[in-house]
Amino acid sequence: MSEAALTEESVRKALSGFLNVRTPETRLTTMGAGSDDLDDGRSYLQSTAEYGWHVPSWPSQFGGRDADSRENALIGRVLKEFIVPDLYPFAIGLGMVGPTLLAHGTVDQKSNWLQLIASGQEIWCQMFSEPDAGSDLANVGMAAIKDGDEWLLTGQKTWTSRAMWANWGICLARTDPSKPKHKGLTMFAIPMDTTGVDVRPLTQMNKDAHFSEVFIDEARVSDTLRIGDVGEGWRVAMTVLSHERAGGGSRGGGEGTNRGSFVPNWISDLGTFGVLDTPVARQRLMEVHCHDIASKFTSQRASDEARTSGTPGAAGSGAKLRTVRSYKERAYGSNRLAGPNAMLTDGHGYIETMTAPSMSIRGGTDEIQRNILGERVLGLPGEPRLDKTASWNESRKGLL
Amino acid sequence: MTELIVDELITQTANRLFSEICGHEAIQNAETVGEAPEIWAAYSETGFPWISIDENLGGSGGTLLDALEVLRLVGYYSVPVPAAETGILGGWLLSEAGLQVPEGIVTVLPDLGPDLTIKVDGSQVSIAGSATRVPWARSAEVIAILFQDDGNNYVASVNASDCVITPMTNMAGEPRDSVRFDGVVCSYAKVSESIDAQSFRLRGALSRVALMAGAIEKMSQLTVSYTNDRVQFGRPVARFQAVQQHLVWAAQDAALSRMAAESAGIEATRGKGDFEIASAKLIANQAASRATKACHQAHGAMGMTQEYPLHHYSRRLWSWRKEYGGDAEWSKWIGRLAVAQGADGLYPLITGGSRVL
Repeated sequence: MSEAALTEESVRKALSGFLNVRTPETRLTTMGAGSDDLDDGRSYLQSTAEYGWHVPSWPSQFGGRDADSRENALIGRVLKEFIVPDLYPFAIGLGMVGPTLLAHGTVDQKSNWLQLIASGQEIWCQMFSEPDAGSDLANVGMAAIKDGDEWLLTGQKTWTSRAMWANWGICLARTDPSKPKHKGLTMFAIPMDTTGVDVRPLTQMNKDAHFSEVFIDEARVSDTLRIGDVGEGWRVAMTVLSHERAGGGSRGGGEGTNRGSFVPNWISDLGTFGVLDTPVARQRLMEVHCHDIASKFTSQRASDEARTSGTPGAAGSGAKLRTVRSYKERAYGSNRLAGPNAMLTDGHGYIETMTAPSMSIRGGTDEIQRNILGERVLGLPGEPRLDKTASWNESRKGLL
Repeated sequence: MTELIVDELITQTANRLFSEICGHEAIQNAETVGEAPEIWAAYSETGFPWISIDENLGGSGGTLLDALEVLRLVGYYSVPVPAAETGILGGWLLSEAGLQVPEGIVTVLPDLGPDLTIKVDGSQVSIAGSATRVPWARSAEVIAILFQDDGNNYVASVNASDCVITPMTNMAGEPRDSVRFDGVVCSYAKVSESIDAQSFRLRGALSRVALMAGAIEKMSQLTVSYTNDRVQFGRPVARFQAVQQHLVWAAQDAALSRMAAESAGIEATRGKGDFEIASAKLIANQAASRATKACHQAHGAMGMTQEYPLHHYSRRLWSWRKEYGGDAEWSKWIGRLAVAQGADGLYPLITGGSRVL
């Protein structure tokens, strides 16, 4: 690449060589809802990989283009003019594992995995939640026992989205149950085809089966697949989660476009239901739209902060609260205004309505995000907790 | 004025029956298959579908209030049958017209499609055009259609087998079929002038209010129970104030919609409850939106899965709030009525309801 400073024009020119421009008719799905398509995303990522257009802030030797924050934001903005498929299947790798490896991975891990993530050749899933460790993530009980230069992993993960597609899982496990819950954890990468790893789909109420339970029975994992130090799993997990909250995984897809018009599609689509000229509906729509705009800037800020600092902070929690509210308000609002036909399974906003409740749950509930903001930003006293100092062997039984 | 109360035996019998025949898997199965003949058979065996309909015309007797109590429990247990359609909507239309109520399922058209034409021709009518979102049309024996001709109101009794039915479902997987009438000929009869499009719509709204009150109550109870069992951070999540707020919202909405449903039912049974029904539907719609959000949030990821029953209630509520009038329709209706009372009439309207109209 030439060293000339990037401009909107130069990025647009480069991208138009292999991507199609969005039109007002372009409709994009969100969050994998209702789609099992891997090919569109994969071929998009392959076409952007050579010059690192999709992950510009990553180092160029690992599939990025060493972009600074300004260039990164610029490229992200121009990308929105083009048809970027729903990258839901690839989002864990691109938005969460990638940045985490950059922060905590070994040189070998970076060289082995990052380029395959950037080009869409390998899919990652996030094996964090367990039946007894949801909001209380630090309670994970997946056992990892050292055996020579390998680890033996046994336990159960749940709500593992994309597990059926994944080549790799980033897996939080307990290496020392005698330490306090946050201290005895270690992060691993597990090849999903390892003997002893069994993925069973969980069907959601929207009929989507992208979530799974993963049962692991004495799966052997090489110590070279450990991410970060032994006992540092919680710190690595926080990096993953901060990037998730900051919306690192969400570039691509989304609510569509407004190119050629000031009115976003989700609003103009409601025109066919004859509601856009009613004052009450207009007031509601504009409230949501204003929130959307603020939400986009907030996410951009959190996401930039996450990329530049490498260890994102509480801003991601603020961004997630806003983005989630935007999604839910658009989904519920559209469905409500679309009249009685929108009660049908092929009605307007069906998939979005059925997905909406999960948005304020997945990736950390609204309640957890507010706790983070309260404690870390405002410095409010935390919930009374005894489990921070007691051994996990004790605290798992409940101390309060 | 005599006091209206529901026979306790009805509540007990319905509770017993529904808890036996309508578990999680039975509801799930009805959704997969598209109907539930065995549940309908057990339900109709009791005579419940025809409560409040004249015994001489095939009904079971009893009051509208009794019928609404059964509907409330149909909502509470997510019973996958066309209880309202066969009874207080379709059965009511047929019996008011003096037409025989059949032994099987009856359904109605929630809205007359824009292309629907009904031509009176001597002792018969000829129907052409289509209707959408018709509950359980696929399983129905008769479709009862209220229509107007030359200033009079009539009910047509259409054999469902004469229609072209395309299966469709609402968000909850309940049948809401498209029905096409290709010059279907059927019998019809006159009804009193008080039974018109508006009174039918209000009655439809009343049926949904009863169902919704039941569903919100069950959803609220389910959420309290789940959050007391679910342990995180070493204690049941129901002990966290942030979770308790959700529980309280849901419980308030359950109480509010049940109270609104009961007062609307009582006034409607007395004969004049338009204002109470309109208010109750608006209250139930809004309560449904708030309570589904609160209950899903309190359940976390578990509530999003097929294997856990929360979605039976939330998806039904999202659908029912759109039937027989969404928020905008009833807000406008109530708003016009309130404005027409003038400033001095507003407070009497709020306290006296339909009785002062």
